[in-house]
Amino acid sequence: MPRLFLAVLVISLLPALPACNDEETPASSPIKTYTIADSTGDWGYPSPYAHYSRGPGYVRMSFIFETLIWKNATEFVPQLAREWEYNEDDNSYTFRLQENVKWHDGADFTADDVVFTFDYTKDHPFQWVDNSIVESAAALDRYTVILYLNTPYAPFFQDVAGAQPILPRHIWENVTVPEEFLTADAVIGTGPYKLADYSKEHGTYLYEANDGYYLGKPVVREIRFVKISLEMTPAALKEGSVDSASIPAEVVGDLEGAGFTVISAPPSWNGKLTINHQKAPLSSKEFRQALTYAIDREALVQIVLRGHGLAGSPGMIPPTSVWYNPDTPQYVYNPGKAQQLIKGLGYTLENGYFYKDGQPLTLSLIAAADYKDVGQFIAQQLEQAGIEIEFQTLEAKTVDYKVGAWDFDLSIYGHGGLYEPSFLQRYILGEGFNSARYSINDELTQLLNEQLTEMDTDKRKDMVFRIQELYAEDLPALTLYYPISYWAHDGSMPLYYTMDGIAIGVPLTLNRMCFVQ
Amino acid sequence: MTIKRNLITYGIALIIILVLNFILPRIMPGDPLMAIYGDEALVAMTPDLEAHLVERFALDQSLWQQFYAYITAMFQGDLGWSYYYNSSVLQVIFARLPWTLLVVGSSLVLSTLLGIVLGVESGWRRGSKTDRVMLTGLMSLNGFPDFFLGLVLLIVFGVLLGIAPLSGALTPYSGLSGLSFVLDVLKHAALPVAALTIAHLAGGYLLTRNTMITVLKEPFMLTAKAKGLSQNVLKYRHAGRNSLLPVITMTGIWLGRVVTGALFVELVFAYPGVGQLTYQALLSRDYPVIQGIFLIVAISVLIANFAVDLLYPKLDPRVSHAH
Repeated sequence: MPRLFLAVLVISLLPALPACNDEETPASSPIKTYTIADSTGDWGYPSPYAHYSRGPGYVRMSFIFETLIWKNATEFVPQLAREWEYNEDDNSYTFRLQENVKWHDGADFTADDVVFTFDYTKDHPFQWVDNSIVESAAALDRYTVILYLNTPYAPFFQDVAGAQPILPRHIWENVTVPEEFLTADAVIGTGPYKLADYSKEHGTYLYEANDGYYLGKPVVREIRFVKISLEMTPAALKEGSVDSASIPAEVVGDLEGAGFTVISAPPSWNGKLTINHQKAPLSSKEFRQALTYAIDREALVQIVLRGHGLAGSPGMIPPTSVWYNPDTPQYVYNPGKAQQLIKGLGYTLENGYFYKDGQPLTLSLIAAADYKDVGQFIAQQLEQAGIEIEFQTLEAKTVDYKVGAWDFDLSIYGHGGLYEPSFLQRYILGEGFNSARYSINDELTQLLNEQLTEMDTDKRKDMVFRIQELYAEDLPALTLYYPISYWAHDGSMPLYYTMDGIAIGVPLTLNRMCFVQ
Repeated sequence: MTIKRNLITYGIALIIILVLNFILPRIMPGDPLMAIYGDEALVAMTPDLEAHLVERFALDQSLWQQFYAYITAMFQGDLGWSYYYNSSVLQVIFARLPWTLLVVGSSLVLSTLLGIVLGVESGWRRGSKTDRVMLTGLMSLNGFPDFFLGLVLLIVFGVLLGIAPLSGALTPYSGLSGLSFVLDVLKHAALPVAALTIAHLAGGYLLTRNTMITVLKEPFMLTAKAKGLSQNVLKYRHAGRNSLLPVITMTGIWLGRVVTGALFVELVFAYPGVGQLTYQALLSRDYPVIQGIFLIVAISVLIANFAVDLLYPKLDPRVSHAH
């Protein structure tokens, strides 16, 4: 990690400066400019169809375009809809809309726009929302909309109502190729900010406050997104040219010492041991449990992640989540128990390695170069337990392909989206290479499918709890760790992490409502 | 004659490059469509899109027909479509190209000229104190990679002294225009150019100095001296010009890598050039962009070599008579 080392070097060379905004504590006094740095910079033109399909792209769009409902740090809150209710008999939602909302060009926002949006996305799917969930939308009057769902869908708020940006009908009704619609009209929304400039090559965005915003006047007059390399971010924060940015874990203490507020997101990403559960001996549940006992996940976090993470829970859902079942079997590191389980499968231990019928117990482990350190750690631990490991790093796409074709024993892979538990179904039953593709446990399969349509949150929670127990018992894949990322800011704005991430689960602090009174 | 033969050689090289660029994604494991379009296509692939792409690349047809489709598109300037940037590959690359050319071009000119002048001066006074100081100094600088020099410069001038900007190619939203805008751009380019110039200075310097020392021993130098020519004419017109060949070769090689030559330096300074783009494309596995850059780099290497071939006989007429 030479880049991180350099970041530490840079920051240790800095003279200790006083915190930039000691005097400006009251958040209500208007702030002229707020600058946010990012090491990638360009995330695409911030229209719903042109931003790149990554979290930061959605966030830049979300300053301009709004959804029916939104989230703050703890709950769903009204946005374009001021009230809503679920109609159980016809599986629909009624939304009563705000009545004083104007589009940035001065036109009135009405139920018509909402109906149009859900119709438009039938022909032109918005990349982040599955448009098959909403069967149809209808306007009851100028400010009331009903959305009829195809099937009951538990994550409806998270995945649809809180994620689908509402488009102005009078602009988009004539747009036939939305991805190529890149004019100034393409960024007319209802949000608290308007786009003043975007530069693709420099990776910069300039937003200015929308003073007619219906939920209050934006506190920050102007928001800038600029591009700065990760190594220079701490220096830029201290210099005062940047107010807020994602930072490397190594400089957390130093920046806190300099008066910055450092916050970390609840984990939403996990590194996983992918297991070929179709092939002996990995097809045996006991063998997979033995692997789990043989890997010290706490030590992995301490050594490979240098402590900046949490040990993986075998139920996949991180312990920080409200959906986490504290009774999930944990398989605390116990190499003795691992060996005992492997012996139970007919293997004998000779010279520190397991044999069966004269053949050594050998497994292959493949991973992309990103997971080299994790792979080496796992290989070492399994070798210690008596399993011979052939570890190989390959080009990422080759790994994906081999895993997809079941041409592997063990592999390491990671994915995000661990907030709303609908991900469980996707990553256990899904058919892609990134899923465990495990459907032989009937109870697990049934629960995974049913929890998606269970509209009663308490009942759904019970199901998700049971899923974690079953999954941790069968271990078709093993969550190894959850990395923790850090965000530093000068405290002039009360930044927070949104409950279950922004919209469908973007683990960034930049909720637009942080910038509104 | 020579030029014609050269052109044929370059033509063959170009064809090999084009074929490689065509073959590589198709022999990667898995679906060629995924290899051509990478991760983004995986995210955005609808049946309609897939059908469109299969048709566009003639993937359902024989390899020859696919190659024909590929070559025709290529000659129409179509390097493919980046799903990550939602834009044509050529556009994506060309937007970054001027910034790279600014930084790499200036440092190429600076380091070559400085290298030659210092090399001539140093070689002229070989063994003197000036020569020894320059030799030791530049030899030690030669050991540092450009990004390291960039970091040192950035830490000293950007972080500690605070007189140079920390990143980017211009101050965003500074509202500058005209001369102050140009100055702002130069201010941002100064450190990356300095890092690249220093890193590449030693190469030109050492080559010039070595050849200079050999040339100075040639009989024609004695004749020139005997004619009573002035020192500067001796140094530059007689000895210097004859020491240029190896430096031109080296510069030619570097010129070919102009597009990606500043990759690490661009990363250090978050400079919006092609190097930075290459890095981003690798991170997001944007294969069309990676391939497009590969092709442009390969073609620039060919063009640079060709230019050097043309320049040689002008500098040294002996080259055109050599067989």
